[in-house]
Amino acid sequence: MDTNQYLEIFIDETKEHIQTLNDQLLIIENEPENKDCINEIFRAAHSLKGMAGTMGYKRMQRLTHDMENIFSEIRNDKMKVTASLVDVLFQSLDAIEGYLANIMESTDEGTDDNEPIIQELNKIMKEGLGGSAEDSSSPKPAEKSVCAVSSDGKFVEKYSQIKIDDSEASVFEEAKNKGMNIFGITVYVQETCILKAARAFLVFKALEEFGEIMNSTPSPQDIEDEKFNYDFSLFLITTESLDKIMESIKSVSEIETALAESYDEILAKKQTEPKEEKTIKEETQETTVSKTNDTAAVKAAENKPTAVQNNKPAAKSAAKVGNRTVRVDIEKLDSLMNQVSELIIAKNSLVSISQTANESGVAINGLHDQIEYLERITTNLHESVMKVRMVPIESVVNKFPRMIRDLQKKLGKEMNLYMTGEDTELDRSVIDEIGDPLMHLLRNSADHGLEANDVRAQRGKPEAGSIYLDAYQDGNNVVIEVRDDGNGIDVDAVKNKAIERGTITPEQGATMSDKDIIDLLFLPSFSTAKKISDVSGRGVGLDVVKSKIEALGGDVEVKSTLGEGSRWIVRLPLTLAIIQALMVEVGTEKYAISLGSIVTIEDIPIEDIKHVESREVIHLRGLVIPIIRMKQVLDIEENEDDESMVVVIVKKGDKQVGLVVDNLIGQQEIVIKSLGKYITNNKIISGATILGDGEVALIVDVNTLI
Amino acid sequence: MGTSLAKSTMSEIDLEYVVVKIGTEQYGINIKYVDNITRLQKITRVPKVQPYMQGVMNLRGEVVAVMSLRKKMNLPADEFTNSTRIIILKLNSQDEVGVLVDEVKEVVNLDENEIEKVFYDVKDEKSSYISGIGKHNGELISLLDISAVISDKEKDIIS
Repeated sequence: MDTNQYLEIFIDETKEHIQTLNDQLLIIENEPENKDCINEIFRAAHSLKGMAGTMGYKRMQRLTHDMENIFSEIRNDKMKVTASLVDVLFQSLDAIEGYLANIMESTDEGTDDNEPIIQELNKIMKEGLGGSAEDSSSPKPAEKSVCAVSSDGKFVEKYSQIKIDDSEASVFEEAKNKGMNIFGITVYVQETCILKAARAFLVFKALEEFGEIMNSTPSPQDIEDEKFNYDFSLFLITTESLDKIMESIKSVSEIETALAESYDEILAKKQTEPKEEKTIKEETQETTVSKTNDTAAVKAAENKPTAVQNNKPAAKSAAKVGNRTVRVDIEKLDSLMNQVSELIIAKNSLVSISQTANESGVAINGLHDQIEYLERITTNLHESVMKVRMVPIESVVNKFPRMIRDLQKKLGKEMNLYMTGEDTELDRSVIDEIGDPLMHLLRNSADHGLEANDVRAQRGKPEAGSIYLDAYQDGNNVVIEVRDDGNGIDVDAVKNKAIERGTITPEQGATMSDKDIIDLLFLPSFSTAKKISDVSGRGVGLDVVKSKIEALGGDVEVKSTLGEGSRWIVRLPLTLAIIQALMVEVGTEKYAISLGSIVTIEDIPIEDIKHVESREVIHLRGLVIPIIRMKQVLDIEENEDDESMVVVIVKKGDKQVGLVVDNLIGQQEIVIKSLGKYITNNKIISGATILGDGEVALIVDVNTLI
Repeated sequence: MGTSLAKSTMSEIDLEYVVVKIGTEQYGINIKYVDNITRLQKITRVPKVQPYMQGVMNLRGEVVAVMSLRKKMNLPADEFTNSTRIIILKLNSQDEVGVLVDEVKEVVNLDENEIEKVFYDVKDEKSSYISGIGKHNGELISLLDISAVISDKEKDIIS
């Protein structure tokens, strides 16, 4: 038995609790009297404490314990929530996140005690309680949960009922002769405990350090499988004293109590009170387990706890019906996705075979219908798998309000964050990567974008700046916009800075468009912040943002109006593995264009091509659209122009471009494959796909052409 | 081959080479890098990549890059014949790459004393891809340094 099997659950649940704490603390900062909120925080802190204790993370346990203590006092109206308390609590949260990060990396919580935070918490608690509370600067984490050996009848010394056969008795005798101590121990786990098997495991682990465990009841296997009620009993052969052992059992949290006695005393009791014991047995059905050798009785006793225990999970699952979800390892989903991909490739080759059969005049009855049916199923299957992999971006953006709150304090600017579209969904693999780039953009807006409060007032803007984060779906893309009503990008300042740094020459600067200059911001080590702060201005950031987003197959653009604010538009692909595409022919080669970016397909007479600034454009329904000859882009020899040409109009945001191709083949569902690392990254080609006839076709990345 | 593999020790496997013909010369490719050998099939050209990259092909549902050793070693362009083969190399468990060869001749076992080390000659570009010369039945086999062949030294020059 190993705590590792609980580690993943622990990490997931800890993350959830941290998020709850974060959300609730933000609320309580504005509504210090909110009772629901206080209760919610108390519960989250309590659960965190319990979980950390179960897993043996003492430092994390201690910190959460202190947080829980404070909220327990607040709950009882003994003290009030203050701004300074919220600050410290946020620090504590960060510390817990730090522990979690360490645990995720090395399964160890690290060695940082976070003593200053704990002291601060206790100071606030002391002040809050008017100094009346006793000093609890270093409370024993377990002292609350473990009470002294109780004798109130609720806890039965079940160790005295463990069956001891002759061979075991002789082992005990032998050990006794060697001068070792033998103790019978019964441990009660708290009934509120969630991972009792893990608790029991920790007790076992602690005891094994002292000596040998014998006759555990229920058996260690049953305990591991959680097949026990809230107690278990065992014998321990050890050289240590009983006090030390009890101490170590009680250091495991959520242990209600532990009872123990030496083997000699148990024997003595057994001899003196056999009759009494029998009477007890007859009188109360509770203590069925006795020292009698009747195995049936023991069995019955073992069955009983299981039955009781079964009630609880049943009640639990009933309560959880509202939340019908399962956690699935992302690797399993990946492998499912791969299999669906292969299915689609196989289906495509069937389609291709049936077409050739048709063309050559061999009509097989019903084949075509069946293939169409298969096609529908695979498409639906693919969609379902994709949906399973989709996660709302909420899980990424919900940490931003907290970040803005901290930035507000750090930068001394007032600002508000407004978010919409948190339920927009993205592929899990994208979600995992998008957090950092968005964070950079928000920080950038908070630091560079928004003016200081007094400047804003002078300019007639509301003093508190606004930052917006809007997410929405747009065709095959998900767009996330980070917007602020700050100063916007000062193009001249950027230009001067670039010239000063030697990034561009003054001559270049004179001919560059505003957009080109703004794009300079995405170059590595370019920062226009006049002051270097630890929020931004170290010149890392925007280039990282850009490269990260491009690595995900997306892109980022900026729109800015000086004095009014800027808009950063991040565009991400909705799916990564399978897309609907238009297959086209260029020369003799086949290429795929993602259907999501196609607006229309036009047949344009050759004389309709006009030249503007030495670029070829067409006039289409009131729009002037530049055209790109795919043959030039793809290094294919050009032949004589026909009288008309096929132009595929594609879009990126509100920009449109016409791609000139030779032939249209048709729409097809394609599986995106990487070209592998041996081919130098070619921006125009985003990947390849395998067609029905086994041939490889390349996928054109429209975004790089616009 | 299964039985011979089972009998031979690791060091002997290390010295097993697939002998291929490129142009007029014979080259040896250490068998531990060879994933499989396929007949020539449709290779899709990829625009704007390294000049020696022939393109990509479909290898059992995966897209694999194919490179031309002739182009890499500045030999005359490939002639595709019935005996042209693509050798799929696998350096680590994940990435595969194919190389075009004119012909696959045989698999030979070379003793250590049949291999002569060669040293890098700056004037001869080809020699940077050769790790040694093997002598077998009176013929000479240039043993390819696979990691050098696959790596992308020209990358900087191109970009």
